[in-house]
Amino acid sequence: MFWIHLDRVMGYWPVLLKGIGMTLALSVLSLLIGVVIGFAFGILRAGPNRALSRVVGLYIDFFRGTPFLVQVFIAYFVLPAVGIELSAFAAGVVALSNAAACFIGEIVASGIQAVPPGQSEAAAATGMSRAQALRLVVLPQAVRIITPSLVGQFVLLIKDSSVVSAIGLLDLTRSGWMIVQSVPNGLLVFAIVGIGYFIICYPLIWLSRRMEGRSQAPIL
Amino acid sequence: MIEFSSLNKWFGQLHVLNDINLKVEKGQVVVVCGPSGSGKSTLIRCVNGLEPFQQGRLVVDGTDLKDGAALRHLRMEVGFVFQSFNLYPHKTALENVTLAPIHVRKLPRAEAEARGRALLEKVGLGDRMGNYPHQLSGGQQQRVAIARALCMQPKIMLFDEPTSALDPEMINEVLEVMVTLAREGMTMMVVTHEMGFARKVADRVIFMDNGAIVEEAPPEQFFTAPQNERTRDFLSKVLQH
Repeated sequence: MFWIHLDRVMGYWPVLLKGIGMTLALSVLSLLIGVVIGFAFGILRAGPNRALSRVVGLYIDFFRGTPFLVQVFIAYFVLPAVGIELSAFAAGVVALSNAAACFIGEIVASGIQAVPPGQSEAAAATGMSRAQALRLVVLPQAVRIITPSLVGQFVLLIKDSSVVSAIGLLDLTRSGWMIVQSVPNGLLVFAIVGIGYFIICYPLIWLSRRMEGRSQAPIL
Repeated sequence: MIEFSSLNKWFGQLHVLNDINLKVEKGQVVVVCGPSGSGKSTLIRCVNGLEPFQQGRLVVDGTDLKDGAALRHLRMEVGFVFQSFNLYPHKTALENVTLAPIHVRKLPRAEAEARGRALLEKVGLGDRMGNYPHQLSGGQQQRVAIARALCMQPKIMLFDEPTSALDPEMINEVLEVMVTLAREGMTMMVVTHEMGFARKVADRVIFMDNGAIVEEAPPEQFFTAPQNERTRDFLSKVLQH
């Protein structure tokens, strides 16, 4: 029975492959957008402008404090009500990159704050502008501090992308739902789906652990 | 070169700088000493605008610090050496020294590196240019920090307790660099308790207590015939050993 089921599931490999492709496309795109916006958030959050920092902080907290599934529904069902029509894919990317930006923003802000204030003082004392001090002195050190948690965040993002199957995107999770319609063995099908996610995530987990070991080396 | 007129500064209720009047001419070396909490670090940090003040006037190299606007320009001409070095840990010694000349002075990289190499050579670290700060001893790090400030070719050098964080055997290698600099005619303000250094190169020694300058004299007079009670008390503690 098991082998027959396995054989039939494997017959659906194009669907699985398509699902993996969609999961990867969603994750990579959202990750890139999330990193760019997340760094901007983090810089503003840790910046000298109190009001701006508060606003960004509130925005970040709002999305960190609401379920991701709800955010996906907002992007897909609520935004059209205010005139922003998005395809399922676009809505997925918007929701995912927004969530990623919020988490990454918080990580980047904490990294910037972890760089000793003497560093920006030394930079300022040689005549550097705030922007130069940030770019040349503070951010390179902050990035080194936060890289392990950033990579960990990437793993969470890939896993969170499974939620967008709820708005009908054929990602890895949804391809599982489709196959299980005709192969009545949920355990087997979703074990294979799980392994698919694991294969994508494990290199990142491994990388993160390796870097955590390395960041123990003295940087000060 | 540096002129304080009736300068006052408060941290909340605390009066950290109390009616400071002080003039440092071009080429002079002024040593500032006093008990901890007397305001000497705050005083020197005012000179390049790291600390704002509330009242009075401070003119450095023709720039009035009250306007605030030209701070960046001023800082290019005023080198600062910190107690805790504050070297950039992700940059080599040479990169530490050339970073500001390249990005602030807009010097071509080759020229900045030539200048940086010569300065590291001068502070005795010709063989350490490719090392990162954590691979250097405290004394070596502080000498890199001095080279980093000098590489901007400043007109004034400020030192905020440059040897206080160092092990005793490393103090001299840093002081020697500073003595050379003073002899070459650099305008310097130095917060330090190294009285030997003060005796050797200072034009004037200033004693601060509770945010005020209580004594200002040439070194011989300062050490042999201090006028103020608190200066005598302080000197008896510092010079005992």
